[in-house]
Amino acid sequence: MSGSGTQDPTTRGHMAGHTTGRIDDTTLVREAQRGNRAAFEELVRHYDQAVLRLALHLTGSESDAQDVYQDAFLKAYKSIGNFRFECTFYTWIYRIVTNLCLDQLRKRQVRKEDAPVAKDSEGEEYDVLSQVPDGRAAANPERDLMRRELGGRINRALEKLTPRERMVFELKHYQGLKLRTVGEILNTTEETAKNTLFRATQKLRGALGDMR
Amino acid sequence: MKCEWVRENILLFVYNELPDDARYELEQHVARCGDCAGELKATRVFHATLSSLPVEEPTPNLLTASRMRLQEALETTEQGGLWQKLTFDPWAWLRQMRFSPALSAALLIVGFAAGIGTMYSIVGSRSSSTPQIAESTPSSSPAQASISGIRSIIQEPGSDKVSIKYDATTTQQTEGSINDQRIQQLLLFAARNNYNSGVRMDSVDLLTQKPDDTRVREALLYALRYDSNPGVRLKALEGLSSYVKDDVRVRDTLLEALMNDSNAGVRTRALQLLEPVRADSSVRAVLQRLAQDDKNVYIRSQARTLLAQLPEID
Repeated sequence: MSGSGTQDPTTRGHMAGHTTGRIDDTTLVREAQRGNRAAFEELVRHYDQAVLRLALHLTGSESDAQDVYQDAFLKAYKSIGNFRFECTFYTWIYRIVTNLCLDQLRKRQVRKEDAPVAKDSEGEEYDVLSQVPDGRAAANPERDLMRRELGGRINRALEKLTPRERMVFELKHYQGLKLRTVGEILNTTEETAKNTLFRATQKLRGALGDMR
Repeated sequence: MKCEWVRENILLFVYNELPDDARYELEQHVARCGDCAGELKATRVFHATLSSLPVEEPTPNLLTASRMRLQEALETTEQGGLWQKLTFDPWAWLRQMRFSPALSAALLIVGFAAGIGTMYSIVGSRSSSTPQIAESTPSSSPAQASISGIRSIIQEPGSDKVSIKYDATTTQQTEGSINDQRIQQLLLFAARNNYNSGVRMDSVDLLTQKPDDTRVREALLYALRYDSNPGVRLKALEGLSSYVKDDVRVRDTLLEALMNDSNAGVRTRALQLLEPVRADSSVRAVLQRLAQDDKNVYIRSQARTLLAQLPEID
């Protein structure tokens, strides 16, 4: 019996930085700490695609994702001298990124008008992102419409989570990280990450219950 | 009690977070218990529903643009904690100078102008302290120099002598080995600042002989990205060609040229130079983009050919 009945997104979670056959992160970090910018840029390339993917999925905006990317790596560059190898570079950079994303999510909660929501002719709110057409489904407009409606509902349900619940759910479900790693990234225990995941899941099941 | 335990752990089971023994136990229970089997099915449906929201990969354009923006910011960002920020590190300052040819060139010019200015002021103070009229530039006549402005005209009372103070720009010539720092500074300055594209071309051409010098590589990258003349950009491409494999910044700038350069020749050459690193993730992503919808038929077909030579990745 398989643990998951669907294509498991956890496969997506294996980051480029874990690939073998190239200069390892520790050597690059030490070089970067000595002021070798090329080494830092190599580190960036190990992780930047995953960072951008996470920021893009969480913020739903290319411009916000680019800002998170830029701020995260600049922050890492400035403070790499303080990196003490108490965790992996991968955990450290993800910690910086998730903190920046949490700030973004908190700002959005305060300023709801920033959310990509518009009103239709009858005054009903809908998610602008869910209206973006998907080329893959172009051959089947009916399925495309259903997919967009579903995407819109899921997005709205995700927005109702607290920033921390959203982050745990994102890292576990969409980025496929282990709960132990999620705990490390968010500076908490695996148990707390697990409880937060349970809470997030319950809320989502409540919000999307009729979709089963 | 068993059902309660199962329901508490079904989510962890679906997310592959249960240890093997607990996993086995849960599977055994679900095989016998209809209610728990139903709960497992509902959890899986929920999992599948949430997974229908896709996690899109960033587009090659977005990734490259983000990398370029970061690299530009890193140029002017210094490493270090609070203590390092509060202390003056002359070596760091010199290193900054080494990586900033424009700043070095600007300082050279400022230094030169300050020297001339000082000379003027010394001569000026001498002439004011003595009644004699002094010619401040005895070696060059106004005819030889290009006059950029007249500062003052004073006629000596009761005499036909006139003192004119003027600023002049003179053309000077220097020669030396390409390894001479002075010659390299001038070449770097010409590559970035000269209005004459022929001169820029000549300087870039000469600089390509020294691409292992960081300042030179910076100037070549600058020329490839910003020079308005395609010939100069092509020269810069050639100079950078041997660093495509080892220098990430060179690779990114070539990718940028491949995607955005207005000249088909420059794009084609960039594509050829990137061939040895076609397996690199960002190169692959750009090739996929070009193979899909590039307007240039040749580049589109070349990108497809290169992609076809690559092994599939999972």
